Amino acid sequence: MNTRSAKTQRNLFIAAFILPTFLFFCAFTIYPMLQGLYYSLFDWSGMSDHKTFVGLGNFKDMFKDPIVWQAIGNDYFLVVGKVIGIMVLATFFAVALTRFNFKLAGFFRSIFFIPNVISVVVIGVLWNFIYNPQIGFLNAFLSLFTSEKVDIAWLGFTSHTIWMLLPPAIWAGIGFYMILIIASIQNIPDSLYEASELEGAGQWQQFRSLTLPLVWEQIKVSIIHITMTTLNGSFIIVWIMTEGGPDNSTQVMGSYMYQMAFRQFHFGFGAAIGVLILVVSLITTVILQRLMRQEPIELG
Amino acid sequence: METGIRNPAVKIAFYAILLLWSVSVIYPLIWTVLDALKNNEQFFLGAPWSLPKIPLIWDNFSYVWKHYHFDRYFVNSFIITVGSTLLGLILSAMTAYVLARYPFKGSGVLYLLYVSSMMIPFILGLIPLFFLMNSLHLINKPIGVIFVYASSLLAFGIFVLVGFFKSLPKELEEASVIDGASHFGTFFRVMLPLSQPGLITIAIVNVLNIWNEYIVGTILINDPRQYTLPVEIAVMQKEMQYRTEWGPLFAGLLFTIVPVLIVYMVFQRKIASGITAGAVK
Repeated sequence: MNTRSAKTQRNLFIAAFILPTFLFFCAFTIYPMLQGLYYSLFDWSGMSDHKTFVGLGNFKDMFKDPIVWQAIGNDYFLVVGKVIGIMVLATFFAVALTRFNFKLAGFFRSIFFIPNVISVVVIGVLWNFIYNPQIGFLNAFLSLFTSEKVDIAWLGFTSHTIWMLLPPAIWAGIGFYMILIIASIQNIPDSLYEASELEGAGQWQQFRSLTLPLVWEQIKVSIIHITMTTLNGSFIIVWIMTEGGPDNSTQVMGSYMYQMAFRQFHFGFGAAIGVLILVVSLITTVILQRLMRQEPIELG
Repeated sequence: METGIRNPAVKIAFYAILLLWSVSVIYPLIWTVLDALKNNEQFFLGAPWSLPKIPLIWDNFSYVWKHYHFDRYFVNSFIITVGSTLLGLILSAMTAYVLARYPFKGSGVLYLLYVSSMMIPFILGLIPLFFLMNSLHLINKPIGVIFVYASSLLAFGIFVLVGFFKSLPKELEEASVIDGASHFGTFFRVMLPLSQPGLITIAIVNVLNIWNEYIVGTILINDPRQYTLPVEIAVMQKEMQYRTEWGPLFAGLLFTIVPVLIVYMVFQRKIASGITAGAVK
C-alpha cells in the first residue's frame, strides 16, 4: 500500500513537471512547424477561412518562379562567403589569442565578441549608414583619395548589392565562432605542444600538424552551424538593409517568404517557401557532413 | 607552456591585424555615440567621423525617448525579455529535472524531440504562428510574444539543464527525501537552487537573444504601442526616407545597445560558457 502510493506520487510528480512544458512546446513550436507543411499545400490569401487545396501546386509555381532561383543562389552565395570569411578570421583570431602569448589577448577577445550581443537590426542600420550614398562613411572615406566627391549608391546595383551584405554578416558572426574554436584549442593538452616544440616545430607547423587537426571537429560543427543559420536567418539582415531589392537582386528564401506571405498575402506560397528552406537546409547539412567526413582524431 | 612568436616583424603584423579588427568593432559604437549628439546640418556638411559640434545636441535623447516613445518600447522590451526568460527557465528546468532524474517510459524519446527541434528551422513555423496567435487573440499582446519566446528557449534550456542535473550528486536528493521532503520540495528547495549556475548561463544567453529579436516581434506586433525596441528601430529607419532625424535615430540605437552591452560586460564568462555548452551538441 505504502509503496503503491509512493509510486502514484512519483508518477503524479513526473506528469506535473513534464506536461505543462510539453503542451507549451507542442502549441508554440511543434504545431506551427507541422502547420507550415500543411499550409504549403493550399492556395490561401490568409484574409478569409477559404483555402483551396492545390496539392503540390505551390511547389510547381515556386520552381517556375525565377525569383525563387535567384533567392536560392543568393542564399548559397551568402553561405559560401560567410563560411570562408568567418572561418578564416575566427580561426586566425582564436589561434592568435591562445597560442601567440599576446599580452592583450583577453582584451581583444572581449572586444571581438561585441557584435554578437548587438541586435541584427542595429547592425543593419549601422551598416546602412556606412553605405549611405550622401552622408555615409564609405563614400566620405573614399572621397579623401579622389578629387571629386564619391557618391556611389552601394546598395543600389542589382548586380553587386548582394556582395555588400557580406561584410556586415561576417563582421557580426566572427566572435561567436572564435569563442568556440578558442574553447576547443584550450582542450588540447599543453604536453602535445611541448613535444612538438622539442622537435623544433615553428608556429606555422604547430598550427598545421597539431592545432588544425585537433580543432577540426569544432570547425566542422561551426561550418554546419553557419550554413544552417545563414539559410534560416540571413533574411533579417537582408530585410533591414535592402528588403530584397533592388529588383529582387538580394532576395533570399527567407525574405521572399516574408514578402510573399506578409506583404502580398500569398500565405500558401509563402509556406511552400518555408518548406523549401527546410528541405534545402537538411540536404545541405547532409551533403556537408558527407564532404567533411574524416576519421576523428583521438587524443593520446 | 605557451610560446609566443619569435620574429618581431611577424609579431607586429599580427598585433596590427588584431588592433585593426578591434577598431572595426569599437569604432561604430563610438561613432554611434558621437552621431547621437549631432544635428542634421552636421550630418550633411561634416564628415561622418567629425566630432559633434558644441553645444552637443543632448536633446536627441529626450526627443527620441518622448517623441518616438522609446520610453514605452524600452518597457515593452524589458517586460517581454524578463517574462519569457523566467517562464522558459522554469518550464525547461522542471522538464530537465525529470528527464535527468526520473527516467520513465519514453523519456529518452522526449529528450530527443526537444533537442532535435533545434535542427528544424524556426522560419518554417513563422506563418502558422501568426495565424495561431491570431486565432488565440494574442496578436499585439505582450503575453503572446512571451509565450513564443519562452517556447523557443526550451530546447536549449532542457539540453543544458539535463546535463547539469545529471552532474549533481545523487546523495543530495536522497538526503532530502530521508528528511521527509516531497518530490516537489526536493526540486524547489534543493535542486533548483543548486542548479543556479546553469540557470544563470541560460538566462543570460536568452536575455541577449530576446532583447535583440526582431522577426517574431514584427510578425506578432503591429500595434505601434506594443513595439519592442528592435521593431521600432526598423520602423524608424524606414521613416528616415521621408524625414531625416539622424541624431535621434542614433540616440535610439544607443537605448537598444547599451543594456545588452552592460549585461555582456558583467557576465562575459557566463556567456562564453553558455555558447560552448550549446554548441557541443
